[in-house]
Amino acid sequence: MVEVDVRGFVCPVPLMRTKKALESEPTQIVVFADDGTAKTNVTYLLQDEGYAVVVTDDGDDYRIEGNK
Amino acid sequence: MGKRRVLGPSAWMLGATGLAIGVFAAYLVKQGNPGNMGLCIACFLRDISSFFGGEAMKMNGFAYIRPEIVGMMLGATVAAISFREFKARGGSGSVYRFVLGFIFMVSALIFLGCPVRAWLRLGGGDLNAAVGIAGLVVGIFVGTVFLRRGYIVGRVKKLAKPLGFVMAAIAVILLVLALVTFYSGAAPGGFSTVAKGAKKTAEGVVFTAEKVISPADASMVDGAIVGADGAVVASPDSVAAAAGVPGGSRAPLYLSLVAGLAIGVAAQRSRFCSVGGIRDSILIKRYDLLVGVAGLVIGVAVMNMVFGQFNLGFEGQPAAHTNFLGNFLPMVLVGLTAVFMGGCPLRQVIMASEGDLDAVAAILGMMLGAVASHALSLASTGAGPASGAWVAMGAMAAVTLGIGFMRTQKA
Repeated sequence: MVEVDVRGFVCPVPLMRTKKALESEPTQIVVFADDGTAKTNVTYLLQDEGYAVVVTDDGDDYRIEGNK
Repeated sequence: MGKRRVLGPSAWMLGATGLAIGVFAAYLVKQGNPGNMGLCIACFLRDISSFFGGEAMKMNGFAYIRPEIVGMMLGATVAAISFREFKARGGSGSVYRFVLGFIFMVSALIFLGCPVRAWLRLGGGDLNAAVGIAGLVVGIFVGTVFLRRGYIVGRVKKLAKPLGFVMAAIAVILLVLALVTFYSGAAPGGFSTVAKGAKKTAEGVVFTAEKVISPADASMVDGAIVGADGAVVASPDSVAAAAGVPGGSRAPLYLSLVAGLAIGVAAQRSRFCSVGGIRDSILIKRYDLLVGVAGLVIGVAVMNMVFGQFNLGFEGQPAAHTNFLGNFLPMVLVGLTAVFMGGCPLRQVIMASEGDLDAVAAILGMMLGAVASHALSLASTGAGPASGAWVAMGAMAAVTLGIGFMRTQKA
């Protein structure tokens, strides 16, 4: 499993870091984000890369989990 | 196991948003907005600045609180709250973003439009916009080089929730001022406004079909404008040849407001950005934001043809000039500052409305940049760039690159 923490960063940084983490082609990836745009962008990126995505929102941060 | 796809659902949502913005923009021009200016974040923020800057800042020809901007702010705030994305945040280089916003605006007013308007101009057949967009691509490319090397404007901090409502509060104040001006026929508090349909002669006389506005003691006599002392200040020929002032060209207030609200909601939901598409295609080979821009150009081009507003060429384009470098160079700066700010001005308006105080700083920078641009006569006219524009661009390029180097830290 690969973890990416992009809390505190705004686009395009979250996308760049997620994209970089995908280079190792993990079967599971978890991204932590705190920005609505980052959440949406990362979700779409993972879906387009073929992951099944589950987003959980604890009211403060988003946990975006992608599984292949 | 899913398959990799190039264009996912986000691309179609962005395309639909772009298409809607394009269609709205063409319709707003048909309803009275300036040519190829159904929506222009730079121009419209400038017009709002002019309401406060007025004659003293040489901005009285523009003064009008554009309801499109106010609507976008309120629409984005409501959408962000409804979808639990409203978050008060800031502290990531607010000062840098203010300066970048300032430079962005001065540059945009040399080209005569923000990236949104550049695409809209292209969809109106204005080929000068293609020159500007080429500059925009170069500027964005330079920005991506910095991003690859570790440029980060700053780390965002969470703030107390009420602070997130600063932009929405400003929008409400602007809306009240706009409505008071609309119903009373005069700007309150000594601020400036331009009457709808106002025209200006070569001598600088401003008038509407009903009355002469400036000089205030003049009046219309047999097609000429005559001063209080009986001397002709503008001949009938001059009056007939007078051109409309930008601030006087406007769609009906409620139409603009509703269009702005719809665009604000759609842009908040879709993350539409007029520079992000080019940035992402270069940086991470993602094209979904670019589909949004394509939708905008198609939407506005088709509707312009339907309304008979499409005019292909370089010459005689509304609110544009034909100076090649005067279109190309400022848009390089626009592209670079937009990447450094984290999005085009439309995105800044949306993010500010979602609670991002750094985006508010960028917008205030833009509004002050507009005042400086006109007060120092740096803004272009239809005749071309002002003489001071070239020096200003050199200085602004140095400051922008300086910020780029300062905020680049090797990871």
